[in-house]
Amino acid sequence: MPKRMLHRLPVEAYTELDWFEREQEAIFSRTWSYAGFAEDVSEPGAYVSLRAGLNEIFVVMGRDRRLRAFHNICRHRGTRLLRAVGNAQKAITCPYHDWTYDLEGHLVSVPAEQREFGEVDKSCLGLKPASVDLWRGMLFVHPSPDAGSIMEWFGEIEPHLGPHDVDELVEYPDGRASYEIKANWKIVVENYIDVYHLAHLHSGTLAMYDHARAEYGFVGPHYAFWEPLSADYAADIERNAPMPLILPPGQLGAWVPMLFPGIGLAESETSWSTYTITPLAPDLTRVENRTRVKNASDWAFGRQAWRSAGFWKGAITAKYDAGEDGDPLTSGDFTAEDVLACERQQQALRSPYFEVGPASRGEGPVLEHQEVVLRYLEGRT
Amino acid sequence: MKDFHELVVAAVREEIPGVARTVVFDVPVALRATFGWQAGQHVTLRFRIGGEEVRRSYSISSSADAGDPLRITVKRVEGGLVSNHVNDSIEPGARVDVMAPFGGFVLEPEPRGRRTCYLIGAGSGITPLYAMLRTILVAEPWSAVHLLYGNRNADSILFLGELSRLEEAYRNRLTVRHVLSRPEWGSPCWRKGRIDAEAIEAWIAENPPYAQDAQYFVCGPGEMNRTVISALTSIDVPTRRIHMESYGGSTDVEDTVAGVAAVAEIVLGGRRTDVPVAADQTLLAAARAAGMEPPFSCEAGVCGACRAELVKGTVHMRSKAALTDDDLADGSVLTCQSVATSARVGVRYCP
Ligand code: FES
Ligand code: FES
Ligand SMILES: [Fe+2]
Repeated sequence: MPKRMLHRLPVEAYTELDWFEREQEAIFSRTWSYAGFAEDVSEPGAYVSLRAGLNEIFVVMGRDRRLRAFHNICRHRGTRLLRAVGNAQKAITCPYHDWTYDLEGHLVSVPAEQREFGEVDKSCLGLKPASVDLWRGMLFVHPSPDAGSIMEWFGEIEPHLGPHDVDELVEYPDGRASYEIKANWKIVVENYIDVYHLAHLHSGTLAMYDHARAEYGFVGPHYAFWEPLSADYAADIERNAPMPLILPPGQLGAWVPMLFPGIGLAESETSWSTYTITPLAPDLTRVENRTRVKNASDWAFGRQAWRSAGFWKGAITAKYDAGEDGDPLTSGDFTAEDVLACERQQQALRSPYFEVGPASRGEGPVLEHQEVVLRYLEGRT
Repeated sequence: MKDFHELVVAAVREEIPGVARTVVFDVPVALRATFGWQAGQHVTLRFRIGGEEVRRSYSISSSADAGDPLRITVKRVEGGLVSNHVNDSIEPGARVDVMAPFGGFVLEPEPRGRRTCYLIGAGSGITPLYAMLRTILVAEPWSAVHLLYGNRNADSILFLGELSRLEEAYRNRLTVRHVLSRPEWGSPCWRKGRIDAEAIEAWIAENPPYAQDAQYFVCGPGEMNRTVISALTSIDVPTRRIHMESYGGSTDVEDTVAGVAAVAEIVLGGRRTDVPVAADQTLLAAARAAGMEPPFSCEAGVCGACRAELVKGTVHMRSKAALTDDDLADGSVLTCQSVATSARVGVRYCP
């Protein structure tokens, strides 16, 4: 029986635990991971902790306002030190036996040291450092202390991203979402970079962009995508934009890159969003969204919504008119449409009769992303 | 020992009329390799003034990485022999003996790196920092620079015009903040007073590092340096990120006094070791030759790392740039610069 392929990768790459674990090791433990927005850790003592592939890492700001990243494991017996988010002013104490570290990661105290150990050479029991940096308003961590500069990783793709001054934009709290998709993370990525589906699955929901004039391609492991506004949306953009514009009139459009691995951005004329993809299991993936918009008053947002209401009334339609209640294809919400497509595709992989047809030109990026994954798994990077 | 080479002065420019002058040297092709330099290094000049041979080291105030010509900027020091000579008598076409650039206070460009460089200086201390600033802006496209520069008033700011032009040209990557102790109305003054702990904290809070590889370069008089270092370390800046050089106008080098062979009683970490010292050997070199591990860094008398207390005998210090008058009065010596002048000497490294 021939090996069942989803284009460049075997179907097992999307269903088997063994592939999942190899990816965790070879991809997610060896690249820069998104760790939130810069403002999540913006005061001395503030920290966040997260998982980056197989690693548990925390990022804390020192009193010099520089970020430090460490592996979130006590050097005594490995207990995780910090949870979620919080504030550690000067020291970090392990809950298990109260070993205490300073914000440079040095082990500074061991309770009952004399009685229990005689003496402990604290100088070689500091927390293991990781790398951290800020880029485009986002925090990134890398498990290795010698990761090199983050620009060696993102420098080449940066010119292909939007002209947004991300640090000038502010978070729009309602734009925050976190949800699970019952599909492999690569299916979620492939959906994001599939140019062919835009005019079909999203025929009613993304019509304000001119998909036929999209420009896209890979730069190293990262994918860049740009498309202009559709003619009728652009014609009176000052009026039609649903929120205050964040780009000058000569530079409008949507930049929708997918940075490797699984760090999607959606940079448009009115908003700037992250779409970060975290594999949870071979067939389960978490997606988190956060959004930034112009730093303007509620009044300015309200006025723009009101001015553009007429345009949007006709511009967004559901793919299908009628259906059961809660059918994503009648919702008029392009995210719901995407989730549905991903999950239905994942389900099909179980069928012994599954076999893919030809890939279109607009699915070229899907094949290329599969090649990138293969490259990492085979150590060709 | 490196040799002197005769260089021709290509141009001079009044940096601050009557106060400071920039001297640009022409480096012939044959000497280009010898006279290559890293931002932050200095050159030693040799003059004969009134029949006396005098040497002074001046920081190079330009960046080879940015393609600048070799130049120094010399501010008059009251009663200063060489600084006034340079300001009064050096004209284009003059020939000056110059030793190849050297010095360990350097900023090595990392073209693929991405850093936040904090430059903190006062008075003439700007000269090496200015070279570093140029290097970062030109040779590290992803790095940013914040300069905190202390002076008496607007009239004593070196490179004022160049700095504001650069700030304009590199808006996203350079900030310049002036601290003036006697500002006049309308001065470009971010903060009045001196560069002290409060100023440093306010400045860093206002300009937190975006690129997280933060490095701190400090160059001013010994007293400012100590204030800055203690301000930085008190907010937990790791010392390996701090680079510093003392600058009191020019560094006086006095290497004409010969030492004598001696025995040095050296107390390090509470333990005393008696160490033989050769006539031309520094106490630091003698201690290290005897297998001890005393602290040191620049070995040029500018960083103060090798400082110890003289508790017995006498020494001659070739340079004492890193020490203030108070330090000297307290009996502090720089062991990297000290040769013995009595048969027995004793020094104690501060715990
Ligand atoms: S495991 Fe952390 S103190 Fe024992
Ligand atoms: S080692 Fe720097 S002053 Fe002696
Ligand atoms: Fe989609």
